[in-house]
Amino acid sequence: MQLVVSSSPHLRSKISTSWLMYQVIISLIPAVCVSIILFNWRACFVISLSVLSCVISEEIILRIRKKPSAIKDGSAALTGLLLALTLPPTIKWYEVILGGFFAIFFGKQIFGGLGQNIFNPALVGRAFLAAAYPQDLTTWIKPFHFEAITCATPLALRKFDHVITPIKDLFLGTTGGCLGETSALCLILGGVYLLVRKVIDWRIPLSMILTVSFISSIFYFLNPLNGSVLFHLLSGGFLLGAFFMATDPVTTPVTKKGRFIFGIGCGILIMIIRYFGGLPEGVMYSIIFMNAFVPLINRLTFPKPFGYERK
Amino acid sequence: MIKVEEKKSPQHNLKTEKFLSPKKLYLPLRQHIGAASKEIVKEKEEVEEAQVLADLGGKVSSCLHSPKKGKVVSIDYFNHPNLGRERAIIVECQDEEKKYFERKNVTQLSKKDLLNIIKEAGIVGMGGAGFPTHIKLNPPKKIDTLIINGCECEPYLAADYRLMVEDIEGIFKGIEIIAKIIEPERIFFCVENNKPEAIKKINSILALKKYHLPLTQLIVLKSAYPQGGEKQLIYKVTKRKVPPQSLPFDVGCLVHNVATCFSIYEAVYFSKPLIERIVTFAGDALETPKNLWVKIGTLVSELFERGILKFKKEPKKVIFGGPMMGIALKNLDYPILKTTGGVLFLSDEVDFEEEKKCLHCAKCVDVCPMGLVPLEFVKYVKNKEYGHLNDIFIKDCIECGMCSFICPAKIPIVHYIKIGKLYATGSK
Repeated sequence: MQLVVSSSPHLRSKISTSWLMYQVIISLIPAVCVSIILFNWRACFVISLSVLSCVISEEIILRIRKKPSAIKDGSAALTGLLLALTLPPTIKWYEVILGGFFAIFFGKQIFGGLGQNIFNPALVGRAFLAAAYPQDLTTWIKPFHFEAITCATPLALRKFDHVITPIKDLFLGTTGGCLGETSALCLILGGVYLLVRKVIDWRIPLSMILTVSFISSIFYFLNPLNGSVLFHLLSGGFLLGAFFMATDPVTTPVTKKGRFIFGIGCGILIMIIRYFGGLPEGVMYSIIFMNAFVPLINRLTFPKPFGYERK
Repeated sequence: MIKVEEKKSPQHNLKTEKFLSPKKLYLPLRQHIGAASKEIVKEKEEVEEAQVLADLGGKVSSCLHSPKKGKVVSIDYFNHPNLGRERAIIVECQDEEKKYFERKNVTQLSKKDLLNIIKEAGIVGMGGAGFPTHIKLNPPKKIDTLIINGCECEPYLAADYRLMVEDIEGIFKGIEIIAKIIEPERIFFCVENNKPEAIKKINSILALKKYHLPLTQLIVLKSAYPQGGEKQLIYKVTKRKVPPQSLPFDVGCLVHNVATCFSIYEAVYFSKPLIERIVTFAGDALETPKNLWVKIGTLVSELFERGILKFKKEPKKVIFGGPMMGIALKNLDYPILKTTGGVLFLSDEVDFEEEKKCLHCAKCVDVCPMGLVPLEFVKYVKNKEYGHLNDIFIKDCIECGMCSFICPAKIPIVHYIKIGKLYATGSK
């Protein structure tokens, strides 16, 4: 009889790294479907190209680093999917490929691969594209049209034209914008799914939502043209960021208190950029910015164990 | 705390059986916290059942009795499930059962008499830690709350549950004795909601008000792990937090396992020392799981040789204790201790997943009942930076296993913590 001797516990949960990744991918299916309905073949094209670019880049880099293939864990595919959802439908094919490669190489592998990176890889890819091709990253088209008719995003309309898009359009996604950020309904569905299945923690999304609600309600009170609370929650990349980007396990704080701070920080930065920045939208930069503070937040919020409070 | 798959079926519904006629017994001198017992018998000496074999070896210690009539073969080092190898008294048994007679004057016994009886019966905490009971019952501070622990939150195990179902009266008589000794203001009897029959029995006894008890309340807790942990249970029912490196009496609480209460009852009413206990034998490698009354010191291998237990398939892991905190053994030649509530034989249910990279997902932080940051321990142990471990409170880890259980990267976190503790305490 050959018996295995190992430390306790001898039972393990069924949760695995790849399970987590696939759950997030599943939760994004509604958003992907709606993006295909809104932007037809362009959405299909950008999403598949971005996923392929990320997966292939990761395989090549891992082979060069002489590390085992990580295709099955789903993390590169998820990065590709998230990147695609932050891109406009009219983006050029080589830009998608470059963005995917950049996300994997500079966003993830250069730090040592899965679990080691400081910044959210998908956002690193998008930040690179936004810097390299600012024109293409800010060209938006009307949904439901085969030919590309340009239009502005709700946040740009608010900022530059002082026009507030109706909440119904934001909710369903029938506005101009990135592939994944248009339909609030689908993003909320996906986010709730992740919360119910305990894939993500509620602290970051909740604190982000509350912070943005609080700040926008003050500004709405000062001037209705600043946009209502619902407008700010449902427009732009906020929901995509709050549920899918700011909850990335790798690049967010490990302490419970730290997660609140991270969420509040993201919320404040988003509103500062939306109200006072040169850009209409700031979810990407605020999350990347807060990512950099994670080690500091972790250190400052290191918890005292059970029973220490009395002393 | 989270819900772990209970796997209590079918053990929960299996009546206890008896195996009280082993051929040989191996009785380690260290089955409790504190100093090892000191043997007072010699090799080749004939011993009676319930005769003292070893006396207290220090202030915090316990004594050891012969579970059977027989002859001491030798006193030598032998396999010990928790400590590797330890000195043990090895007794060759005769098949003869001793009869125990009921003590007549139980109600007239004073506190001191009762404490003495418990001390001389070699009773230790049977929930797992094995703290000598007579010391626990003589605390330096006033105890206002007595908590009876019938949670049995480890998956698979059913020994405490069967005891509650089959002999709740005995448990209550034990509680009555404890209450007489420490005079608490209130008693909480804690059971998880996956034990319906026990709940029914406890309720009917409480309704009858048969026993001399202070305000006694049954607390039904939602099944979760690690609910039965002493500090966790105290917090759950009293909202008092036991400070680090302190004992429950510091917050006026005392926790006793139901099996310990039953042993106290047997010692006081029948002068029967702690020489038997219920052990759950379960796992998918067994033909049929069993709840067995066995003599302390019985080898697991003898149960198979005598046909009491049978394998259905080859086990891959044999575990002393529950699956969350139990210890995996390398063969079957290990004796049942006073603290052994179960032995598991796992085959397909064993998981051999490879360790992957930490995601920093902090699921271990979220489940840690002690509020620690387990992933940091792993980081420091892997980098051999043992100096930092004390600063991040490694000593407060109770090794409940939740962090390793939940980890999506399948990192054996508790394993790293155990290594870290050795370095942090300077024993390595």
